[in-house]
Order: sequence, then C-alpha cells, then structure tokens
Amino acid sequence: MNSTDLLRSELRKLTTTRMPLSFLAVLTVLAAINGTAVAIGTDMDGSKTFISTAADQISLFAFAGNALMIAGLFGAIAAAREFGHNTVIATYLAAPRRSKALLAQMTAIGLGGAVLGLAGAGLTIGAVAISLPMTNYGFLASLGEVAQVLVASSFAGAAGAILGGGIGNVIRNTGGAVTAAVVTLIIAPPLIIQLASGTASWVPSALALVVSGVADTTGVVSAILAIASWAAVPALLALWSIHRQDIV
Amino acid sequence: MTARSNDHPLKVDGLTKRYGNRTVIDNLTFTVEPGKVTGFLGPNGSGKSTTMKVLLDLASADHGTTTIGGRRYRDLPNPASTVGVVLEPNAFHPGRTGRDHLCIIAQATGQPRRRVDESLSIAGLDPDAAKRRVGTYSLGMKQRLSLAAALLGDPPVLVLDEPANGLDPQGIRDLRDLLRARAANGDTVLVSSHLLTEVQHLVDDVIVIADGRLVTTGTIDELTGKSAHVRTPCPARLAELLLAAGATAQQTAGDRLVVTGLDLDKIGDTAHRGGLAIHELAPNAGSLEDVFLALTAQPSQKGN
Repeated sequence: MNSTDLLRSELRKLTTTRMPLSFLAVLTVLAAINGTAVAIGTDMDGSKTFISTAADQISLFAFAGNALMIAGLFGAIAAAREFGHNTVIATYLAAPRRSKALLAQMTAIGLGGAVLGLAGAGLTIGAVAISLPMTNYGFLASLGEVAQVLVASSFAGAAGAILGGGIGNVIRNTGGAVTAAVVTLIIAPPLIIQLASGTASWVPSALALVVSGVADTTGVVSAILAIASWAAVPALLALWSIHRQDIV
Repeated sequence: MTARSNDHPLKVDGLTKRYGNRTVIDNLTFTVEPGKVTGFLGPNGSGKSTTMKVLLDLASADHGTTTIGGRRYRDLPNPASTVGVVLEPNAFHPGRTGRDHLCIIAQATGQPRRRVDESLSIAGLDPDAAKRRVGTYSLGMKQRLSLAAALLGDPPVLVLDEPANGLDPQGIRDLRDLLRARAANGDTVLVSSHLLTEVQHLVDDVIVIADGRLVTTGTIDELTGKSAHVRTPCPARLAELLLAAGATAQQTAGDRLVVTGLDLDKIGDTAHRGGLAIHELAPNAGSLEDVFLALTAQPSQKGN
C-alpha cells in the first residue's frame, strides 16, 4: 500500500455514507437562516444597518468560526465511528505502520472539513446575496474580501476537522468524541477567558474572525498559527494514542 | 489448481498478553503449518481472538513473539496481500454498501477493482446484494462479505475468527470447500470456531487453548484418539482414580466418562486396581466435542 492509495481509500470512506450530506444539510439550513435574517430581519430600531456597509456584510459572511465547530464535530464523528463500527480493523490491517494510516485518515478528514468550511461560507454568501435585492442595500463586499472569507472558512474547516479527528481517535467513542469536541470548541473557551482574560484573542472563535478579516485582535499569520496549534494538539495526542494503545 | 509455494507458517512463541492484572494469554506457543487447515479451539474468553489480534499487530504482546513466514505482520512487504483476515463479525459501517466496503479495502491495499467482483463471487455474495447497505444484511451475508474482504488480495495465509458463524448449511459447505481448496493449494489456514462438528469435518490440525494456555495440539485423529469412552456404574469414583493417575475425566451423561491422558490398557488397569466394574471401554473416535469439553473443563469440573 502507498500513501496515495490510503488517502483515496479514506476519502472514499467519507463519501460512501450519508454523513457528509447530513452536514451539508445543516450548512444549507444555516445559510437559509442568514438569508432570511437579511431579507426580513431588522435592528432594534427597525433599520437594516447590520447590512449597510461592506464590513457589516463581511461580518455576516464570515463563516470560519462556525466552520471550526461544525467541522470539529464532523472530524470527531468520522474518526470515532471507525472504532465504533470496527472498520478501523481493516484500516490498520492494510497499513500496520499506524502513523501512515493515521496521517491518511487525518488528511482525508481535514480535506472533508475544508470542503464543509468552503461550502458553509459559499452557501451563506449565496443566501445573503439572494436576499439583498429584497432590501435597500446592494452587495458591498469586494471580491478580495469574499475570497478571504472563503479561504478562511476552508482553513478553519480543515483545522476544526483535524481537531475533531484527533479527539475521535483518542476517545474512540462517537458520543464521547462529540461531547469532547463541543467542550473544546464551545464550552471551554468562555471559561478559559473568564479565568484568564488575556486569552480572549486566542480562542478559536476570536481567531476565526481574524483570519476572516473581520477583526484584528492579532495578526493574521499569528491567528493561522494559533488555529493550527489548536488542531495540532489533539492530532498529536491521537498519534501517541494510536501507537500506545491496542487498536481493538 | 496448482499448489503455490508458501513459506508462511504462523508461529506464536511464548506469547503473554495482560489487560491490567488479568492475564488473558499465558506463555502460549504453537505453529500453524502451510498446506493444512488448522482449527483454533477454546471456550469463550480463552484468548483465541486476542491471540489473533496480536498475530495481526492489532494488539501488542507483553511478552513473546508472533510471526508470519518469519516476519512480524507489520514487517510483511504487503501484509494485506499476504494475510486475509476475518476478525470481528460486524466490522462494517451499516450505511455503506457491501461493494463500497470492499472497494475501500481494495483501494487501501492497492488491489485492482476487478478483485472486488472476483472476491464477491468466491465468497458467494450476490452482486445485487453487494449494492445494498450492509445494515440490511443478515449475519450470514455479513460473514460472506467478511470472507470476500479477506480474499481480496488472494493471500496465501488466512486467519479467520468464527467464519462459519451465522452461515446457513450451504454457506458452511461452501466455506469448507473453499478452505480445503486453499489448504490443498499450499495456503496456511487458521480457523477459530466453536462449531465443533464443523471443525471436525474441516480441519487437519487442532490447537486447543483454555484460560490463555495451550492445552494440546495435534491432528484431529491424534486428538480424538487420545480420549476414551468409559461406561461404569461408579463414574465418580473411577474419575477420582483416573485423576490421581494423571488423566482427565469428564462425566458426560449418567454412567459415562470421557477420559483423556491415559491409554485404554491403563484405564482398565486403574479400574481393576480400584475394584470397579467397567461395562464399556472404547477409543472415543468421532466426538471432537467430548474431547474438547474434557480438555477444556474448568479445574472444578475435572474428575466429576
């Protein structure tokens, strides 16, 4: 077996069940909610100032934070279900050098997360674009800004999926992995900020705003590295776990 | 079919495996020779599946080594083309089709796509059924799919954990014919099973373990020849005497014992010295089940 075969096999795993479609359905619903909000929603004063400038619209488009969380769940389920269904046996029989198999799996999950992030941002932008003609405002964001949102969301999706995939390989139980991903990405960050307010710029949601071009609490490169670090820690734990523990 | 050159004996040498403080395999040593079907027998929880998992590098050993053709599984040049494996009865994603399951494994192991169809055909799984989601399969169909996956790489070694479980009579016959043909072709075939009547018709050699320890190895004929069938009005007393003489005796029904570890002459002599009548004493040919139960009886049961 070679790495390309393993990667293609892992990608096939992701595309031969209904899970990706379920996630795409969730992204479509979220985009529809955004589009509906633009079409009929107002600010407290009855105006539509929340879409009145390019910056406002970019804030609406910025999907990277959601991509991190949604792809995190995707990665956690994709990795943990391999253990739940025992399909992990075939994986490690094909590639008994475990780090090679894990690398292929995490790469596939990361690519899946990137696609989800891209789709999430694209659907959101599309839904808002469709709704804007129903308001007095046009599409104000520049092509460069839209591109940054799409790239940021793809990157965040990939990172989130790898983070979730790492958790899934460590926990090895779908329910437990999903819970751990939710704790890591949603519940723990606010608690960490309460304990140490200086960390506010470094939690995933804040970093996602930076890479999307919506906030500048840190530099973009620093934010990219920080998001990558959030993903790398569970991935490295997974590598340790997969070598340290029996597969079944 | 021309026999292929097979230099892949399976060797388990001094294998010990612990989970916490519990020793599930204890200094286990045996060899599985090519060109034969070898039955791997033992009660539930005796360590058969764990031994297979260690052999396949899915679990680590605390002590000892396992090799396939002199190499660890992970060191084989193309392990999936060398060893075909059926391990867990339900190792599928229920939402995936059987065909996709095989395509994924074929892709990972570098097998050409045509092998998927060939393996489905050999395993006797209908191509239309292979297009359905595995969640709709019967246990027998899942077993056939597992077997198809094991045969994808046309491997010279098969390691099969309870492959007949859930198969209908025709499926069991097909499996038997397939494994016998593979062995005749020079392949190494290790089969664990609790269907002893099937094993008796299928295997050449037998490895029996209990509580993670080797109980006995040998051919089916040797194994069944090692036991004797005794009918006596005093089975409990005779069992005590035979136990003291180093045999194992299992009371199977009423006045009957299955005795292993002593030949017929010595069983007769032991009964005579104890002043016990014997109404029947014969080699216990034909019942692997009785021998198996006698060999793997818990210490508290021995001598009953």
